[in-house]
Amino acid sequence: MTTTQTQERPGLRAGNTPGSLEKAKARRDRRTYTALLIPAILGLLVSFVLPLAYMIRMSFNHGEADGVIIEGFTLDSYIQPLSDPFYWKVTLDTFQMGVVVGVVCVALSYPITLFLARTTSKYKSALLAIAIAPLLTSAVVRTYGWMVILGSNGLVNSSLEALGLISAPLKLTNNMLGVQIGLVEISMPYAILAMISGFGRLNPQLEEAAGSLGASKFQIFTKVTLPLTLPGVLTGFLMVFVLSISTFITPTLLGGGSVQVLATEIYDQTTGLLNWPFAAALSVILLVLFGAVVAVYQRLTKKLGG
Amino acid sequence: MRSYTKYGMAATALMMASALALSACGNTSSGSDAASATSGEVDVIAYSGIWQDQYTAAVIKPFQAKYPNIKINFASKRSSADMLSALQGQKSNPNTDVAIMDQSVSESGNKQGLFDKVDASAVANLANVPDKFRNKDGYGPVAMLDAIGVVYDTKAFPTAPASWNALWDKSTCGKVNVVAPPSLLGISLTAITSSMEGEDYTKSIDKGVDKLKQLAPCIQTFAPNPDEYQNVITGQTVIGLGQNARGQYYADQSGKKIGVAFPKEGTAYQINTINLVKGAPHSAAAKTFINYALSAEAQEAFAKALFYAPSVSNAKLPADVQARVVPTDGSLKILPLDVDFLASVRDKWTETWKRQIITKQ
Amino acid sequence: MNQSKLSIVDLTKRYAPGLDPAVDKLSMEVEEGHLVALLGPSGCGKTTTLRMVAGLMDPTAGSIIVDGRDITQTPVNKRGMGMVFQSYALFPHMDVAQNVAFGLQMRRVPPAEQSRRVAAALDMVKLGHLAKRKVRELSGGQQQRIALARALVVEPTLLLLDEPLSNLDAKLRETMRSEIRSIQQRTRATTLFVTHDQDEALDMADRIAVMNGGLIEQYDSPSVIYERPNTRFVADFIGQANFLTASVVADNGPTASGGATAGGASERNYTVDVDGLGRYGATGHPGFVGSTRELVVRPHRLRVSLEARGGEAGIAGTIVGVSYTGDTVGFSVRVGERTLQAQFMTSSAAVPRPGDSAYLSWNPSDAYLLPGNPEVAAA
Repeated sequence: MTTTQTQERPGLRAGNTPGSLEKAKARRDRRTYTALLIPAILGLLVSFVLPLAYMIRMSFNHGEADGVIIEGFTLDSYIQPLSDPFYWKVTLDTFQMGVVVGVVCVALSYPITLFLARTTSKYKSALLAIAIAPLLTSAVVRTYGWMVILGSNGLVNSSLEALGLISAPLKLTNNMLGVQIGLVEISMPYAILAMISGFGRLNPQLEEAAGSLGASKFQIFTKVTLPLTLPGVLTGFLMVFVLSISTFITPTLLGGGSVQVLATEIYDQTTGLLNWPFAAALSVILLVLFGAVVAVYQRLTKKLGG
Repeated sequence: MRSYTKYGMAATALMMASALALSACGNTSSGSDAASATSGEVDVIAYSGIWQDQYTAAVIKPFQAKYPNIKINFASKRSSADMLSALQGQKSNPNTDVAIMDQSVSESGNKQGLFDKVDASAVANLANVPDKFRNKDGYGPVAMLDAIGVVYDTKAFPTAPASWNALWDKSTCGKVNVVAPPSLLGISLTAITSSMEGEDYTKSIDKGVDKLKQLAPCIQTFAPNPDEYQNVITGQTVIGLGQNARGQYYADQSGKKIGVAFPKEGTAYQINTINLVKGAPHSAAAKTFINYALSAEAQEAFAKALFYAPSVSNAKLPADVQARVVPTDGSLKILPLDVDFLASVRDKWTETWKRQIITKQ
Repeated sequence: MNQSKLSIVDLTKRYAPGLDPAVDKLSMEVEEGHLVALLGPSGCGKTTTLRMVAGLMDPTAGSIIVDGRDITQTPVNKRGMGMVFQSYALFPHMDVAQNVAFGLQMRRVPPAEQSRRVAAALDMVKLGHLAKRKVRELSGGQQQRIALARALVVEPTLLLLDEPLSNLDAKLRETMRSEIRSIQQRTRATTLFVTHDQDEALDMADRIAVMNGGLIEQYDSPSVIYERPNTRFVADFIGQANFLTASVVADNGPTASGGATAGGASERNYTVDVDGLGRYGATGHPGFVGSTRELVVRPHRLRVSLEARGGEAGIAGTIVGVSYTGDTVGFSVRVGERTLQAQFMTSSAAVPRPGDSAYLSWNPSDAYLLPGNPEVAAA
C-alpha cells in the first residue's frame, strides 16, 4: 500500500505506474460500495430520516385545541410538558416501567437463554425456535390473551379462588401491574434473542476451568458465567427497556386507561386530542430518554468489553 | 469521492421529485368520475366493527342493489378522531367522498374546510331532515342519533339501574367501567355528574369532579378493552358507561346478559353526521349515496339493525324497535352538549380526568 | 510405601447404553513426579479418560484413586487438580494476574500470599511482565504459558494437560515442549498429558500409554514403546514400521543384551522364515518356536546393499522410489507383493535410482516379533 503514497516520477505517464493503477482500482471499488449502499440509504432516508425530521419540525408548531396546526416556530409544546409536574411524573413512570419490565424480563429470560446457549441437544435450533415462536403472533393478540388470563374471572384469579388462597379477585389488570406482566412476557423472545447473541464469549471450557480451579457451581456462576454474559444481559435489558417504553399497545390494552406513560400520552395527543405538535414534542422527549439510556449502555459495554 | 456523493444526492432528489410528480398525476386523472351521479365509486369513511357490519348490511348492500353501477369502498376507523386525522392528511388531494362521524368532530372538520355543503337540490331527502338535525351553515346533516346510557350485568341488576348514582354504589366497587375523556362517554358523564351536583357544567365542573374522584378508586377500567360491552358480558365489570345502540345490539347477541338503560337524571346524545368531503373525487355519486342514506328506507333498516334513532321525519319504526332506540321526541331528558361547547372543553376535561380523577385510583 | 500417585482401576465410560464404551475397563498406575502421555488417534478415549480423572465427567464404572484415596465421587472443584485446556480457557474478563490468582482465590489464600505466588508462577513461565495484560492481547504461546501458570500455582495434586500444544505453530510447539517438560520436572508435578502427536509423547513423557478403541494397547517408557511394541497398532502409530510375516523355526538362545520382557523372562534370538524369502534372525519373547507372527523392522534399521554380498545375501528387491529430504534419504523397495521402507542418513555416496536392485537385511536385534497380536496365518 505504501506505493500509493509515493510521488509519481516525472516522465512516467499517469496510469502506467503501479501506484496509480491501484488508486484507480480503489476508486472503482469505492464507487461500487457506494452504489450498493444507495438503496439502503434511500430506504433509511424515506422511512426514517424524513419522518424524524418531519416530527421534529412538527414539535415546533403550535397545536390548537380542535386539531388545527399553526405552522410556526414556538417552544410551547416543549415548555408545556417540561414545566408541568404531571408530565414529569408520566416520564418518571415511563422510565420506571421500562426498568422494572427490563429487569424482570431479563431475569426470567436469562436461565432460558443460558440453557439455549449451552445445550448440545440436537433439538437446539428447534428449542430456540420455540422460545421465539411467540413473535409469530402479534403483540395485540398476546395482550388480549393476558387480559383474559389476568381478568377478575380469569385463569389466575379463578385458580387462586378455587385453591382458597383469595376471597376476592386480585386486581391484576387495568393497572400498572397488568401492563408490566404483559410487557415482560411479550418482550421475552426479544430478550432471549438479544442475549443469546451476546453470550458468544461463554464457552463450556471456561466454566470447566473455573471448576477445576476449585470454584463451586455458585462461584462459577458469579465469577465466570455472569461476568461473561453481562454484555448480553445489558443488550437484552436495553432491548426490553426500549421496547416497553415505546410500545403503546400493551399499556393501552392492559392499563385500563389508568396507566399513563409517554407512549399512551403521545397516542392520546395524536388521535384523541389531535394535538400533533404536542405529541411530536413528547416523542422528542421520549427519544432523548432513549438516547440517554443508549449512551449509558455504550459506556457500560465498553467498560465490560475492555 | 466528494463529487461522486454530490451526484448521488442529486440523483436521490431527482428520483424523489419524480415520484411525487407521479403520485400527483395519479390522482388528478380520476377526477373525470366526479360528474356521474349513477356510476363510478364512492369512498366512504366511517366506524369499524359492528357498526361497519350492520351499516353495510342495512344500507350499503341495498344501495348497491339499487345503483349497481356505483361501488362503495368502506374505509373503517376506530374513532371519529381517527377519521378526521385521515381526512386532514389528504386535505390537499382527497381520496374520500363521504364521512360519517361524530357531530363534534365533523364540526371541527367543517371549520377546517374539510367538508362541502350539502344542498337539497342534489340531496332531495334533506327535505325530510328536521331543522334541528340540519347544520345551520348547510354542511352535512345528522344521519343518526344515539345516546349515552348505563350498561349493566342483568344478573347483578335484575331491574335496570334507574339513577346514575348506581355507579357510586359500594356494592359494585371495583366492577365499574367508565370511558374517560376525550371519549364522548366520559365527557357526557362529567357533564351529567356536574349537573347532578347542582352545577352549571358550562361554567364549572368542580363539584362534579369531586364526586368523580370518589368514584375513581372503584373504577375497574377507564378504557375498557376490547370494549365496554364485552367487559360486562365477561363479568370483568357489572356496571358502566355505554352507548344505547351497541348496548341493545349486544343485549340480543349475548342472550340478555347485558342491559342498557337511560337513568332518570338524563343523558347526552351521541350524534353522527354524514358529510361530503370537499373536493371529493366522486362528488356526484357521493351525493346519490348521501341521499339514499337519508331515505326512510335506509334509516329504518339501520335502526332495526343497530338501534340508532333515525334523523328523518318520514322514517317509521315498529314499536319494539322504537322502544329501544333513543327517543328524539323530547320524552328523555337530554343535557345539551353543543358542539362548540364540547370543542372548547374536550382538552380541558381530558386533562382534568388525567390529572385529578384517574390518578385517584 | 511404593504407592502410586494415581491409580485408575477398571475405568469405563459408556456414553449411552448399547454404544461401544469410549473407555473400556482401563487401568493404569502413575508414579509420583512422572509425566505420563495418553497417546492415541482421535476417538481412542484419551480425552475422555483425562476428563474423568479431572472430574469433568462421571465414569460409568471403575474408580480413580489419588494418593490412596478414592476420588471417583469427588466433585471437580474438590479434586485440587490443575488442568490446562486445549483452548487454554483463560477468563477473557480478567487480566493475566487475575487469571492466575483465580485458583488461589477459590482456596481463600490470603491476598498477600496470593500476589506472591502469582508473581512466582508468572516468573516461572517467564511472563512476569505481562501481569496486567488482558488475555486477548496475548499470543497463543503466551496464553499457553499463562494457562500452565494458572494450573500450577495452586500446587495441584495432578497436572492435567489436554492437547496443550495442538493450537500452536510447529516451531513454538517445539519450544513449549521442552519448556513444559522442564517446568514439570522442576515442580515435580505428577502430570497426565493427552496428545495425538507421537513425537510430543516420545519427547516429553516418562511413560506413554498408547490407547486405541478405549483400551490401553501398551503402557511403557518411550524407548520400550518404540523398540518393543506390543502390537501392530503401537508399532504403526509410533514411528514408521515395516511389517513382515514370519514363521519362527528355531530358538537360538537368549539375546546378548539380555533384554527382559514384561514377564521377566529374557528375550530370545530366533531364526525365522520370512514370507518364504529366506531365513533371517529376529528377537522376541520366549516360546515362539513353531508360531507365525508379525515381524516389525523400523525403516532406518533396514540395511540396503546394492549388490549381493557373500552368504548373507538378504532379501532381493527393486528400488521403486527415492525420497531425499536433505538429512535423510528414504527408499521404497519392492519385495514380491510388498513394498518396504528404508531410511538412512545421507552421505556423499551416490544415491541409488529407482529400478536399481537392492538387497535388504537387518540385525537380529532390530527385528522384533510382536507378542501382543494373536498369531497370524502364514501368508
